[in-house]
Parts: sequence; C-alpha cells; structure tokens
Amino acid sequence: MSVTTALAPRHFAGVPFASWAFGIRIWIAVVVALYAGFWLELESPLSAAITVGILAVPTRGQALEKAGLRFIGTVIGVVASIALIGSLSQARDLFLLAFAAWVGLCVYVAALSDGFRAYGAVLSGYTVALVAIQQIDTPGNVFDFGMQRGAAIALGIAAIAVVNDLLVAPDRHLELAAQLAAIHRRVRDHAKAVIRGEATDRTATAGLLRETAALRSEITSLVTESSSGSARSAAARSTAVALVAELHAVRVVKALPVDVDLAARDSVTSALEEGADDRPSAASFTRRGATEQPDHMAAASDWALREVLRRDQDVRDGLAALRSGTRPARTWRTPFYFCHRLAAEAGVRSGLWLALASAFFVLAGWSAAEASLVQLTAFIGLGVISPNPRGFTVGALVAAPIAAILAGVLDFVVLDGVTDFPLLALGLAPLMIGAAVLTTSPNQVLAGVGRLNLIFILVVAGLSNPQTYNPEVFLDSSLFVCLAPALLLAAQLLIPPVSDERRRQQLMASAHREIDQLASGQAQRYAPEEAMFRDAVRIGQIAGAGVPSSQHRVLLEKALTLFDQAATVRLCDASLRELTDDLPAGLADRARGALVRRDVQSIRQAALDIQEAAPEDALARATSSALQVASFVIEEKGP
Amino acid sequence: MTHPFRELVVGGVLLAPFVTYAVAALVMFLMLRPILRLSGVAKLFSHPSIAALSVYVTILGLLTVLF
Repeated sequence: MSVTTALAPRHFAGVPFASWAFGIRIWIAVVVALYAGFWLELESPLSAAITVGILAVPTRGQALEKAGLRFIGTVIGVVASIALIGSLSQARDLFLLAFAAWVGLCVYVAALSDGFRAYGAVLSGYTVALVAIQQIDTPGNVFDFGMQRGAAIALGIAAIAVVNDLLVAPDRHLELAAQLAAIHRRVRDHAKAVIRGEATDRTATAGLLRETAALRSEITSLVTESSSGSARSAAARSTAVALVAELHAVRVVKALPVDVDLAARDSVTSALEEGADDRPSAASFTRRGATEQPDHMAAASDWALREVLRRDQDVRDGLAALRSGTRPARTWRTPFYFCHRLAAEAGVRSGLWLALASAFFVLAGWSAAEASLVQLTAFIGLGVISPNPRGFTVGALVAAPIAAILAGVLDFVVLDGVTDFPLLALGLAPLMIGAAVLTTSPNQVLAGVGRLNLIFILVVAGLSNPQTYNPEVFLDSSLFVCLAPALLLAAQLLIPPVSDERRRQQLMASAHREIDQLASGQAQRYAPEEAMFRDAVRIGQIAGAGVPSSQHRVLLEKALTLFDQAATVRLCDASLRELTDDLPAGLADRARGALVRRDVQSIRQAALDIQEAAPEDALARATSSALQVASFVIEEKGP
Repeated sequence: MTHPFRELVVGGVLLAPFVTYAVAALVMFLMLRPILRLSGVAKLFSHPSIAALSVYVTILGLLTVLF
C-alpha cells in the first residue's frame, strides 16, 4: 500500500503542520550539507548549504528537478567562465562587456521557458559571476574554483535529496490533482451557466485559462517524483490540455445564436454535474424541426454541445489516470508560448543593467567589490524570471538588511565565538526553520522575503571551519549584500524593465500575426488542442496576476476572441485534412481557403457542399457542423 | 584485504572513484525505474521514496564492493 503525505489541515502557532515539517527538513538538510562539507574539507562548504537553501521547495519532485537543472546550469556556467577568462583575462573592460553580453544571452534563453528551466538558464549566467568574477585577479584558479563549486553543489543536492526521501517529503501529484479538479469544477459551473443562458463574466475564461496554464511547470516536475512520475506527468498534461479545450468548447456554445430547449439543457447540465458518468445519448439536443431554426443550425448546436461533453470526458479520464498513476489513453504535449522579441528585450536590458553596475564598481575602485557584483548578477537573473523584476529588486532591498541583522545576531550574540558544530546547528535552527516556514506563506511578499532570507542569512553569516568571527568581514558582507539590490534598483530606474503595457501589446501583435498565418496549407506543428494550450499560456501572460482594469479587460476580450477563432479554425483544418480523400476534388481546399480568409459566407457554403457531397459519412457531417460553428464564431466576434 | 580503486581520468583531471560509482549507480537506478514501475514494486511499500533510496544505496554499495 502506498502512503503519501498530503498537506495536513492542522495548525500549530497559526502555521500548518506541513509548513513546520518543511522548515525542519530544510534545517536538517542545511546542517547535513554543512557538516559533510566541513568533514570533506571542501573549500566552500557554504555553497553546499546555500544550495539547500535554493532548492528549498516543499515537494520532492520539484526539489529534484530544480537540483538537476542547477547542476547542468553550473556546468555550463563553469565552461563559459573558463572560455571568458581564458580569452579576455588581460582586458578587464572587454571581459566585463563580454560577461554582460553572456548574462543577457542567458536571460534571453530563460525568457523562452518557464519554471526551473528558466532558473537553470539564468544560473548559467550568474555562475560566471560566481566563478570568473570572484577569481578575476587570479585567473589560474578558475578551473579549481569551478570544480570546488560543482562538488559543493553536488553535496547540497545529495543532502536535500536524502533528507527529503528519509523524512518523506510530500508528493506533488496529490495536490496537483486537487487543483486540476477544482479548476474542472469551475469550468463545469461556467459551462452550466452558459448553457442555461445565464449572464457570465466575459473575462472569467481568461482567469481559468491562466490558472490552468500556470500549472505547466509543476506538471513537468512530476516526472522526477517517483517511478510512476512520467505516467502521472502525461496524465496531468492531458488533463490540462483537455481543460483548455473544454473552456473553448463552452465559449463556442456561447457564440452560437441557437436556443437550446429545456430538455436538452437539463440533459447536458445534469451530465456536467459532479460524479455524473452517463453522457446523454439523445440524437439531438436542440429544437430540430422548429420553424425558427434550420436543420444545419440545429446540427451545429448539437455538435457544439457534444464537444463540451467530449472534452469533459477527456478531463475526467485524465484526472482518473493522474490519480491512479497510469498513462492516459491519449497524451498531449503542453507547449509553452514565448515571444522572441520580448525575450531579446529582457536580455538586452539585463546586459545594460549589469554594464551600468560594473562601470559603477570600476569607477568606485573598491577592493572586494566583486562580491557585490556577484550578488547583483544573481538578483538580475532571479528577478527576470519573476513576474515583476523591479518588485523582486525592492523585495531584495527589504530582505537584505533583515538577513544582515539576523546573521549578525547569529554570529555575535548566539554563537559568539563557539567552535562546536552542534551549537552551530542549534543556532541555525530558528533562522532556517523560520525562513523556510515563511516561504510557504500565502502572502507573496512574505514568501519572497523568506526565500531570500534563507539564502542571505547563510551568505552573510559566512560559515566556515573554523569560524573566524571577524566583524570587519561581517560588515563588508552586510554592506555588499545591501548595496547590490540598491544599485540594481538604481539601474532599473534608469533603464526600466519591459513595461506590462508593452508586453501586452507585443503579445497581442503576435496573436494577430499567428491567426493570419493559420491554415496556410502546411502541416501544423501542434495538434489543435496543443495549440489551444499554447494560446492559453499567452492569454495567461496577457492576463497577468491581479484584478484587470477596464482597459485591460477590453484587451483580454480581444485576446479571447482571437483564441476562439484560432482554435476553431485549427479544429476545422484538422477535420478537413482527415476528410480530404473522401471529398470531391478541391472542396477541402476551398473550405480551407474560406477559413484562411475568414469569409463567413464561403465557409457556410463549403459546409453545405461537404454535407451534400457525403451525406452518409459521419466525419463529413461533423466537419460540416464544425464549419458552421466556425462561421458563427468568426461572424459574432469578427474584427 | 585492501580493495584497489581505479581513478577515472577525464582530460587530465583525476576524479575520485566514489564519483564514478555514484554516477554509475545513478544511471543504473534510472534504468531500473521503468521496470520498478511496470512491476508495481512501489505499491509494496508504505514509503516508496525510502525504498527507492535504499535501492540506490544498494546498487552503490554493490558497485563499490564488486568493482
């Protein structure tokens, strides 16, 4: 029997037990990493402890995925350091420029991905700072230093992996299944409201799409969780894609100018009720034969309602496979949408921030300023992969003095000259557990401060064997850890990060470009459902967090309109491709041409022609109905 | 009896034998994972993660003793 720890609902001191357990795991892992680092006489045992602080995520799979990417990022960063220092060690200014360009390139690559992959990319950038910049005056040591850093990171990874395994860190799949099921419930409620003809918030779909797309990186982490991780990840992917497809199907129903009669409405809504497994088998949901509705419109409405039920069944199958740990019958990919232009802009800005800060340090001429430049590079990297880079810098500016004070208390009040490891372990306990517990806070600001403190406290405390307790070193570390975010904030005020408005404009422009290039006769790269998910990622990026303003709402509605049209055109195109051989010559191409032009009358004519050409073929009937639906979707909201 | 350990040399860099064993054990463990999943071994244990860690430690120990 398999027992997996779920987040306990019980609390202690207002904090869930699961958060306390997480804090204790992190503290133990930090102590194990430090002890092993001292025992192995590593040159930088602190890096092992900091690695644990960085890999402090509540679930096992996520920690392992982040660990793997941290290791790969470090290897790439060390290789880049050797290349840079080998070729430019004699020309300091040129070296700093090349370093800024490398960080810019890494930020560009990070912006093309999400989750821990983005973290791995920015880590390759700031590893150069950690390895090459710190050894800028002794280039011969770069290789040794890189190896030492690699060893310390591997030790930190081993420490957190073993502690997570032995103390049974929770698995992510249980909570993920609950999150997907909760989104599914809301999608069903939305569907029932639409079918009943009730008023619904037009941008509610955007929120649901954003929440579904936001789970993408966590779904990827399931692979490393257990031996059934890849099957669960595939099931979660299929569920997320099916959820997006169900939302699209609901929006299509809303776009149809056809009344659904009372019996059909009850039949569909009861099928969408919680736990309802029997789908209605009625031949028609709509008032076929009624005087006000022609047959082809009733068929289109039937098709749209059946699509909702089919997608709902797909979601249920996916959730069942996720819970049981089996591979789903149909697997879909969850492609990530990225905008090269925005990524390039973020990369260039990051390079410029770094160049500005480097120029400042060069002109200031401080000794040991490289430590601050190293931290500044790390803030740039970690900031650009957060939703709001400037907000992250402000958070770091708040967290840095707190960490400096806490590290000072640890060094000069709590420990105050002791050299026994058990006392160090006990002294670290409240700080590590407290910071780790804070990272699990629902308040994003507190969580951010906790995450930064977990790392800063270790950096400023400068733990070594034997501990020196040198107040001068401590003051230098504190000053530089506070100076780095202050300087970065100044650079970001001079050269601001890409604004939300510009980001949205670029994303909308790319959505317009893509819909114009649709159905161009070439095979599509993704299945229609996968392309829908990719569009959902983009809508999530346009929606962003928080409550949208009225202007933002208008933009979101436009984005949703493009989403509806693109998805419908892709579905029709896929059906036409399957049907091409069964239709008279040129008919499929004519229908596809009408779709590309978004010519409503031609699409309807093509739908009728396909229906007449193969009246007995079920696929032809479905394609004809899909084309009718596409014509309504394009007509209702055409630009 | 002392056990002779061979050091791995990559481009002139000497790697400790333990690193070689740890990486080899990781590769073997990852290759074993699909078999463990298909045979449903994880369902036999109350804490599959500890069982998986034990398998890794066993492979690592066997490699160290036998090679």
